Amino acid sequence: MIRIEGLSYRFRGSETNALRNLSLEIEPREFVVITGPSGCGKSTLALAMGGYLFRQFDGQAEGRVIVYGLDVRDSPIYDVAQLVGLVQQNPEAQFCTLTVGDEVAFGLENRCLSRAEIRERMAWALSIVGAEHLQGRLLASLSGGEKQKVAIAAMMAAKPQVLIFDEPTSNLDPTATAEIFGVIEHIREKAGITVIVIEHKVGYLQRFKPRLVKMQDGQIVFDGQPTPNAQVLADPAPQSRPPGIPGSQAPLLRVENLHAGYNGRSVLRDLAVEVHPGEFVSIMGDNGSGKTTFLHCLLGLRRPSQGRVEVLGHDTRHTPVSQLARQVGLLFQNPDHQLFADSVWEEAVFAPLNFGALDGATEARVGDLLARCGLGNRHDDHPYRLSYGQKRRLNLVSVLSYAPRLILLDEVLIGQDPASAGFLLDLLQEHAARGGAVIMVNHAPEVTRRYASRLLFFNEGTIAIDAPQGQAFDRLQALGKGAYAC
Amino acid sequence: MPANRAAQRIAYQPGDSFLHRLHPLTKGSWLLAGTALVFVVRNPWAVAGAVALLLPGFPIAGVRLGRVRGTRLFISTTLLLGLLQVLFVREGATLVATGPLAVTAGGVQAGIYVAGRFLSVILFSYLFVLTTEPNDLAYALMRAGLPYRYGFALITALRLVPVFEQEGQIVYNAQLARGVRYDVRSPRRFLTLARQFVLPLLVSALGKVDALAVSMEGRSFGKYPTRTFLREVRATWLDGVALALLVVAILASWAIG
Repeated sequence: MIRIEGLSYRFRGSETNALRNLSLEIEPREFVVITGPSGCGKSTLALAMGGYLFRQFDGQAEGRVIVYGLDVRDSPIYDVAQLVGLVQQNPEAQFCTLTVGDEVAFGLENRCLSRAEIRERMAWALSIVGAEHLQGRLLASLSGGEKQKVAIAAMMAAKPQVLIFDEPTSNLDPTATAEIFGVIEHIREKAGITVIVIEHKVGYLQRFKPRLVKMQDGQIVFDGQPTPNAQVLADPAPQSRPPGIPGSQAPLLRVENLHAGYNGRSVLRDLAVEVHPGEFVSIMGDNGSGKTTFLHCLLGLRRPSQGRVEVLGHDTRHTPVSQLARQVGLLFQNPDHQLFADSVWEEAVFAPLNFGALDGATEARVGDLLARCGLGNRHDDHPYRLSYGQKRRLNLVSVLSYAPRLILLDEVLIGQDPASAGFLLDLLQEHAARGGAVIMVNHAPEVTRRYASRLLFFNEGTIAIDAPQGQAFDRLQALGKGAYAC
Repeated sequence: MPANRAAQRIAYQPGDSFLHRLHPLTKGSWLLAGTALVFVVRNPWAVAGAVALLLPGFPIAGVRLGRVRGTRLFISTTLLLGLLQVLFVREGATLVATGPLAVTAGGVQAGIYVAGRFLSVILFSYLFVLTTEPNDLAYALMRAGLPYRYGFALITALRLVPVFEQEGQIVYNAQLARGVRYDVRSPRRFLTLARQFVLPLLVSALGKVDALAVSMEGRSFGKYPTRTFLREVRATWLDGVALALLVVAILASWAIG
């Protein structure tokens, strides 16, 4: 069993504790889901149970963590690792080799097991995640869901007593998410081990009747059976949707017969769509279906190989990106990839400064936005000192600062808890209501239902569905994409 | 920064040719010894012969040299190096003379040496890189005695290079989307752009190092001085033939002088 007694932890340089006098007991073979807002200490708790927190990170710890009788704080990491496996959020980041076979064998080879035993364990681990057929493949050639299966198999091969999943589906589309949760259920049933899942999408896991542990500010605030609404956004009150007034005004965006691709490979085929002021468009589809390429085409980062994209009357084939960017804001998935300045304020005014549009009115707007995002007293801080959720808000402020008409978002909700996501979405909804438009690539049906006026569903480089979101969800079922309509 | 993606990268190209099937260390031996030989040999026609023998290696490996990135650059560099020697080295009989320009026998010989040696090194390296799976090379080196920590440092680098290339593209796109202009040229501006480009990549790299360290230690990497290797990179009779030919080449170059 796992016993955590009065655990507190503060990372070096941090002003607050990531964990605060936390105590928890988990019985053998229990299935536990740990949830809570971004930055509440869930991943820190996982690192503590795996022993990594006390070895690889600089900080002050108090309290005890006992795993199957082993005091984690005083034990070599290798001993703890034989008991506890940790599957991290991004499988890419944890791969140590280049092929599936090498990856699953990696830990067993390091433990100097015999080749015969390694082969036997490899076969077992790959079969338990349903990935036997992947054994000879290069990791780089796998889909997101397949990569996560391999990462799980690599941990399962060590036959741990406890397996911790740290947001294992955050980068996956709904189809792959459902598959991975199926794998987790299978492991729970067949392997007879303790399974701990850190996850925002609690709704997907409710059918397994897990024990739910909810954290906030480094403490446990709930420990019991989940309620039916556990996964929905923080404020369950229905929001007013932007009206979406196609046809009443000139479109902000017109896409005609768009074809685009990379290295001679066709990614987008014959897309046609118009987006009008006031619309909040959600784009969904499997990973690799062309959603990101589509967004890049709208900003001119990728030129059409055929057809045309017109943004506020400007043909992207003949307009420089620097000019299009004045009217089209694009937010990327990872907040760290889009922080360039040395202070929160400089970051917020980075784009207006580049566009030569930093005036008193803009400064006032930025100041107001920062205050609304809870960053009003952080103007002089370095952006990298902010929490994940705060960085996300700063990213959005830095786009709203120059008031582009069209805002594009590429999976910006990944890793965001429902409350933080809801805050951003409310700001974007305001933007649409003021006559702008929002096009958001996302994997969350509940977000689309609540915020979007319209859904575009991408399938293998084409728009398979373009309809008001209510109708679109019905058609998704008929298309065999029911996982997107959950 | 954005890369030219139309050209084929100088990276392993999967295939099943004779060259692909050779053991990585056999090819490594040819690369090192062959490169040394073209510098040691004192006969320009032997150097030219080495180039002539290397060129068919590309169609044999199923690689179109003209499509590989950098080919134009190294061919033009080869021609330039050769031409400079031909025009400015004045030794031996004069073959052609026009005004201040004169081409001598010694100049032609020096041109063949310099251009041939440069071209041989490039062609040897291209053949090696294009036909050798880096993973196989790393495992072969570890099996041959390279401490596995260094071997996996190589594998990690191989794995992360495309990841950082992709992230670099994202950062570049994110900057364009926020109005950053790369066409403004001044040293100060260049330094600012470089810092703004590198910082996000550096922060991302540090995060990846943390995740990788957790993953490696969690799977007992470094626990013992040695480890089991499941993957086998086998030598075949083809390697015997290739190594025998290498010995013949060494003896022949010694005989030529």
